[in-house]
Amino acid sequence: MNCADITEIAPLYISAELDARRASEFDAHLQTCPACRSELESQARLDERFREALLADEVDVSRVNRRIRELIAAESSRPAASVSRPRPARLAAAAAGVAAAFLLLIAGYLLVPGHVARVYADAARDHQLEVVLRQARPWIVDPAAIAALAVQQGIADPVPPELGSGYRLERAKVCRLDGRLYLHLVYSDGTREFSLFLRQRDGQHLTGPIRGFADGRFLRAASAGDEHLLSFETSHLTAMVATDQPADAAKRFAKAASAAL
Amino acid sequence: MPHSRSLLRVARRLASDPAAAEDLVQETFFRAWRSFDQFQAGTNMRAWLFRILFNAFYAQGRRISAGPVLVSLDAPGRETEPQSRSGPSLADVAEISNAFGDLSSEHRTVLLLAVVEGFTCREMAGILALPIGTVMSRLSRGRQALRERLAPAAPKVWEARAGAGPAGKDIR
Repeated sequence: MNCADITEIAPLYISAELDARRASEFDAHLQTCPACRSELESQARLDERFREALLADEVDVSRVNRRIRELIAAESSRPAASVSRPRPARLAAAAAGVAAAFLLLIAGYLLVPGHVARVYADAARDHQLEVVLRQARPWIVDPAAIAALAVQQGIADPVPPELGSGYRLERAKVCRLDGRLYLHLVYSDGTREFSLFLRQRDGQHLTGPIRGFADGRFLRAASAGDEHLLSFETSHLTAMVATDQPADAAKRFAKAASAAL
Repeated sequence: MPHSRSLLRVARRLASDPAAAEDLVQETFFRAWRSFDQFQAGTNMRAWLFRILFNAFYAQGRRISAGPVLVSLDAPGRETEPQSRSGPSLADVAEISNAFGDLSSEHRTVLLLAVVEGFTCREMAGILALPIGTVMSRLSRGRQALRERLAPAAPKVWEARAGAGPAGKDIR
């Protein structure tokens, strides 16, 4: 893969649409070509700045939502032309059911999120069940025991007791995501909790569209249900953040984690 | 209403004024409701709604508005965290909004869908009924054009190669 190839397929790399072989070739080129690496970093920074600016745009949907609901309710209560003897009560109930089914489908609640990579889906599930819903798990809270657990998992770098100025390490355990062991760390800013999953870096990379850039590392994103996920790689570690907090809170935490690791 | 925020955000950049943007989103949901049976379960609902939005917009014979949308960071209804103030400054938002408004409608459309709404090139090809190669080319050129307007002195390594890009080529 040469520089011209990189230029051509960069949009597919940024959106994580390359197959594993081509993504690996793309990564290999970036390792040896500072010009392409620098160009891609510039694009990632520009995308992040552009996205944040346009998302700062106020979008008040209350009026249009009301109009849509009223329109669908009116449409669904209209008797079909082929119904010769409509029975109002049954028809109204059926219309309400159809409207509800429509809205549920629009919401995607009835759809299987098959496009989320297994490792992200597993991390989202763990965060949701073990952190948000607080299902009983054998958490370790002693800092020395957490450090020992990290070493046990082959993580030589010390586990930061704090990330940035606002996130404090609360507890840890080992978990399995997509068949691999990760150290699951839970940090809190006092009101909200964030999961940070770590494993020793190896040849298996986490994929996902590039949604940010921090400390010379690409932040790759995924979402599963209400969970926002971001992953990045350091020279020694593969890291993944999971939270049910908004996307910008997830990114802020991921950047704090990247700075500390 | 699920997805209405994303749809309205894009509609406001397409339509000439906020009322027209709301009409367009309402029309989108109405069309989705009427053609509900055509949606294939298991496919991307959000992309389907955006395809309907663009179809409805082009059916009106409209051209994409070039005017920047005014923003207020103090107004309610922001999608970001209410307690957060670590986002872009008003000056940055205005600068980017102006630069964005200077771009061609083709570039603005793909940048909005890819960078802000997070659609893949393949999804955008379906939404806009374009070959994926055309989408990729427009996205690369759109990114470059935006960068030029924001930092005219920035190096343009890939732009020099863009002539060899996949413009109009369907590589699906």
